[in-house]
Amino acid sequence: MNLVQILFYLMAFITLGSALVVAISQNLVRSIFMFFVTLFGLAGLYVLALADFVAVTQIVIYVGGILVLILFAFMLSGKEALATAEQQTNRFISLNNLPAFLLAALFLVVMLNVVFKADLNNLQWVKAAIETKNVVPVDGTGINSIGVNLMTRYLLPFEAISVLLMIALVGAAHLSRKEAIKT
Amino acid sequence: MNFYITYFIVAAGLFAFVGLFTMFGVYAERKVSAFIQNRLGPTETGKFGTLQVLADMIKMVQKELIIPAAADKVLFLAAPAIIFIAVYLGFAALPWAPGLVPANINIGLYYIFAIISIETLGILMAGWGSNNKYSILGAMRSAAQIISYEIPAGFALISVVMVAQTLNLQDIAMLQGILSPEKAKFFGFWDVSAIGGILSWNVFQAPHLLVAFVIYFIASLAESNRAPFDIPEAESELVAGFHTEFTGLQFALVFLAEYSMMFLVSMVGVILFLGAWNTPLPNIGSVTLASWTTGTAWGIIWILVKTLLLVGVQMWIRWTLPRLRVDQLMNLCWKVLTPLAFACMLISGIWRLWVM
Repeated sequence: MNLVQILFYLMAFITLGSALVVAISQNLVRSIFMFFVTLFGLAGLYVLALADFVAVTQIVIYVGGILVLILFAFMLSGKEALATAEQQTNRFISLNNLPAFLLAALFLVVMLNVVFKADLNNLQWVKAAIETKNVVPVDGTGINSIGVNLMTRYLLPFEAISVLLMIALVGAAHLSRKEAIKT
Repeated sequence: MNFYITYFIVAAGLFAFVGLFTMFGVYAERKVSAFIQNRLGPTETGKFGTLQVLADMIKMVQKELIIPAAADKVLFLAAPAIIFIAVYLGFAALPWAPGLVPANINIGLYYIFAIISIETLGILMAGWGSNNKYSILGAMRSAAQIISYEIPAGFALISVVMVAQTLNLQDIAMLQGILSPEKAKFFGFWDVSAIGGILSWNVFQAPHLLVAFVIYFIASLAESNRAPFDIPEAESELVAGFHTEFTGLQFALVFLAEYSMMFLVSMVGVILFLGAWNTPLPNIGSVTLASWTTGTAWGIIWILVKTLLLVGVQMWIRWTLPRLRVDQLMNLCWKVLTPLAFACMLISGIWRLWVM
């Protein structure tokens, strides 16, 4: 086992362990902060997969943005709402948990199917890409090809996402604006 | 194996540097504030009060570690460590001299930008963990302020990246002096690749970057919670903001984080706008001042001098300007700095395409 493998298992353990704590913990704030550890572990896994740009983007967007937003929403909501959420009876099998249980079980089946059906060592498209030399070398130019591809091949989805975000922004501004008092 | 040992030594060295800088920074801050307010500052402990910081540190270490009864213990204890580690990690990607950089990452600038945003989380953690109204108000203010000011800072940084065409901080530094692999042009028309010096710094290569630098500097003040943007710890309203409840070593960690953040943002500003480790002295004919003063040792000296000057400006601003109100702060960010930063980015694109 070389160092990369050790690091991979370490990161995977941190990610899975903290994710479990997030799901199990009774204390909502602590589970949000544990989620931070999960995201960090995931970023580490991305680095090990040589996707450094994705790793840093993960930290910028999830840790710097989304987690802080979740915390804001949490801190601005009332104590009563939080208390009811925390004082739910937590039996493993109950009618409340049935939809969640079903969804999780079905998702597990899908994931297991993917893992066992996909023959990871000889995928068709990976082999084809290697044969036609359509691969990105690992030499620190990954970010250049990401930029070029975003501005050429994937320009339409990129612009569509920006329009979507714009719509969300306009909607948020409209919702938070005070209504003019009608006379 | 030596490879890893070197990394450990570098990390420990950076930590020692951060500690030393904080000691120096605290002393300087006291003396600067005393000078500005026409006082003397510390004079009793040691010659000119030089041992004051040491005495403070000894006092700090001896203090009892108090955890408030209502606090969330885990979050309360972890918060200062996270705040400090977030800032300390940022030092890994900063170049000190030609060929001297702890970790030469090809997306160094983006990495630093990401790491700094973790500090917000630590501050929120401290605020919530303390279970104190002042702390949580301070933490909320700090988070709102940091998130808002990341936008103009980010666009100011992007306008540099668009001119330099790389996210590697060492490459950006290289482009601003006599070692530049590309042509460096003063204001876009006079080729100064061989002359170097102050003329080839980014702010003089493209004049609109001067505006971007000012935007970045203002935003960096807000990101390190320094006056005039210190509403998160406004003494007159919030006691001490998010670190009200911390004592002893934990308070020391928060303080260490604040001073290393000051150094970090100043150093990033120096690297991107003020020529990084390049010398300010140009080559004039046969008097090749720039070539004489470029090298590993010189690089460290130049970048330290420039960064300390910027830190000095930060202190000067802190003790001269009054604190901004929340609405003034947001107005400045969203109505002044953000549009200006966008304009800088646009000009950068035009500059790169048609002028350079």
